[in-house]
Order: sequence, then C-alpha cells, then structure tokens
Amino acid sequence: MAGLKQIKSKIRSYEKTQTVTKAMEAVSAAKMRKAQLQALGGRPYATAALSILARLSGTSNFKNHKMVQPAHNPAALYIVITSDKGLAGSLNSGVLRKIYAEMGENTSVIAVGKKANDFFTSRNVPVTAFHSNNDKITPELIDGITLEALNRFNMGVVGTVKIAYQNFISTLEQKPAVHTMLPLSIGELQHLVEGITPTKGVFSEQASIQSPVGYSIELDSEIDVLTALTPKLVSIFVYHALLESHASEHSARMVSMKSASDKAGEMEHKLTLQFNKARQAAITREVSEIIGGMEAMAN
Amino acid sequence: MKLIIAKVDERVFDGDAVSVTVPGSQGEMTVLGSHEPLITTLKAGTIVIKQLADVEPIQIPIQGGMLEVRTDGTTILL
Repeated sequence: MAGLKQIKSKIRSYEKTQTVTKAMEAVSAAKMRKAQLQALGGRPYATAALSILARLSGTSNFKNHKMVQPAHNPAALYIVITSDKGLAGSLNSGVLRKIYAEMGENTSVIAVGKKANDFFTSRNVPVTAFHSNNDKITPELIDGITLEALNRFNMGVVGTVKIAYQNFISTLEQKPAVHTMLPLSIGELQHLVEGITPTKGVFSEQASIQSPVGYSIELDSEIDVLTALTPKLVSIFVYHALLESHASEHSARMVSMKSASDKAGEMEHKLTLQFNKARQAAITREVSEIIGGMEAMAN
Repeated sequence: MKLIIAKVDERVFDGDAVSVTVPGSQGEMTVLGSHEPLITTLKAGTIVIKQLADVEPIQIPIQGGMLEVRTDGTTILL
C-alpha cells in the first residue's frame, strides 16, 4: 500500500505544477499582447524622428556631424538586453552567445537584466552599468541608458555603440538582433522602424514611412536640430529594443510554460494509469489470499 | 490640422487642433493648419493647443523638444 500512497502524492505534485505553469502561461500571454500594443503606440514618434533625419541627411552639415562620422576608435560599447528571470527557453542564451562570439578585445557592456549582468561579470567583460529589466519600462530607464551611451560616445571613450536584444518576429519565433546605434545610420533606423510591426499576427499591418517634403528649417541651424534629434533617435532605439525584448520574453515564456503544462498533464495521465493498475493488483492479491485461505480451511 | 504630441513611450496628445502655440528656440510661434513645412527645436515652456472655440485650450508644460510641420499634420517630439 506504500507504493499506492507514493504514486498518489506524485500525481498531486504534478497537478500542482500544472496549475502553476498554466497560470504563468496565461500571465505571459496577457503581458505579450500589452508589449505589442505598446510597441505600436511608439510608432508615430519613431516615424516623425526618422522623417526629420531623412530630410537632414542630404545636407553637408549632416555628413560632417560627429554623430555620423565612421568610427576610428576600435573600442565598442554593447548594450545587451536580457530578462531578469529565466524559465523562458533559450531566450537569453541566444542573445548572449551571439554577442559574446562577435565581441572584440576592447569592449564594455551596459547590462540590462540580471542574466546579462551575471553572464558578463563571470566572463570578466567590464560591465559599466547595470539596470534591472522589470515589466515596466520607465522613462528613467530609457534616459539612463541613452545618456550613458551618448556620454561615452561623445567623450570618445568608445567608437561605436551597439544594442543587442531578442527581436520579436512572432509568438513562436524570436531572433537575436544586433544594431549599430552610434554612429547614426539612416539604414539601421529605417530597418528598426519598419521592424516595429511584426510580419505575422494580429498587429502585422504595415504603414509606409512618409518621405519628407521640402522643409524650411526655421531660425535654427541644421546643426542645432541634429544635435537635439540625436538623443531622441538613440532613445527610440533603446525603447524599442526594450519593448521587443519584453514581447520576446513573454512569448518565449508562454510557449515554454505551455509545453511544461502539456508535459505535466502527460505525466499525470501515466501515473494515474500506474496508480489504478497497482490498486487493482493489490485488490486481486487480497481476494486471492482470502480464497486461498478459505480453500485451505475447506480441505 | 492633425496634431500628435508624443514622448518616446507615450502619446501626450493625438487629435485635431485649430492651432498650436509652441515655445520655439527663437521665440514663441503659433502653427495653424496649412502652415508651410518646417522643423525647429523647442525650449522649455508651455504648449497651448486650441481646439474648437467653445473648448478650453489645453496647456502642456514641456522641458524642450522638437516641432515638425508637414503638409499632412504636425508632430511635436518631447
């Protein structure tokens, strides 16, 4: 009978696991939708900033601006965005492996999320700043990362700033992405803005980016506009990378929790079968013992 | 005219407006519908949005930003 009790308690523990994983799956699904909606809400800002940049890009002031000059300094700064928590399949390791493989000698890291911080600290890559990656993307977080990156770039400490995150393609597919943020490149930005809408799914509606008409740049010089625009473009990069990584994190967690729930259900079914067999065997044994006893007495 | 005022992570205002007055870096200016396209930086001050005549104008204090006027609408990035 001890065997029966053990099986019963195992079944109960699988049931409990399934309840937890199912709840986590539902929570992740809701959070994923929210992150996607938020990403779409940020589009007008990104589109407007891009169209201003596109207008300025033809001018000589733009081509000579230090924000767009190709880097001479080989030192690179990576902003690596991962999640704080695990339980999301290969979400974080995908980004971290990709980055670690392409890192040169002279690199430093701004880590967003505990996983990135742990990874680089244990490999002796200098982590200049660490931000935790909560569900809420606060303006302070965006500004903090943006200012840190701009400061290091402007002071000439680093020649390039790159941002790495898990890009959300669809609920079942996420890919690690690395973009060069500074020096500014219109191609990278356009790519980013177009990538905000996923190619598949409910939100996959593509809006074209306005090609700018002839602006007059009133009273300001183009350099002023460009100088004011640069931090905004960088913060757009940072914001969307954070959103993409959130959407990826939640969908990856949703999928891995779903497979955990399925597996738990399967195990529960198997164990129930085993439990029933063991119980039947015990009953049969008892009955045959009684009959055997009766027959022995009759003889 | 269609007016969007946006921070990087939220839309502060999105709708139709009769006029918008902004603290431009060279002085205050008012943009009406069919203004010629332009880009300018903004300094700290207050944006005043006038909608219909019987609606109280909306005031939004800002720390600085950027104004883009296009033929199809006006966008302010904060």
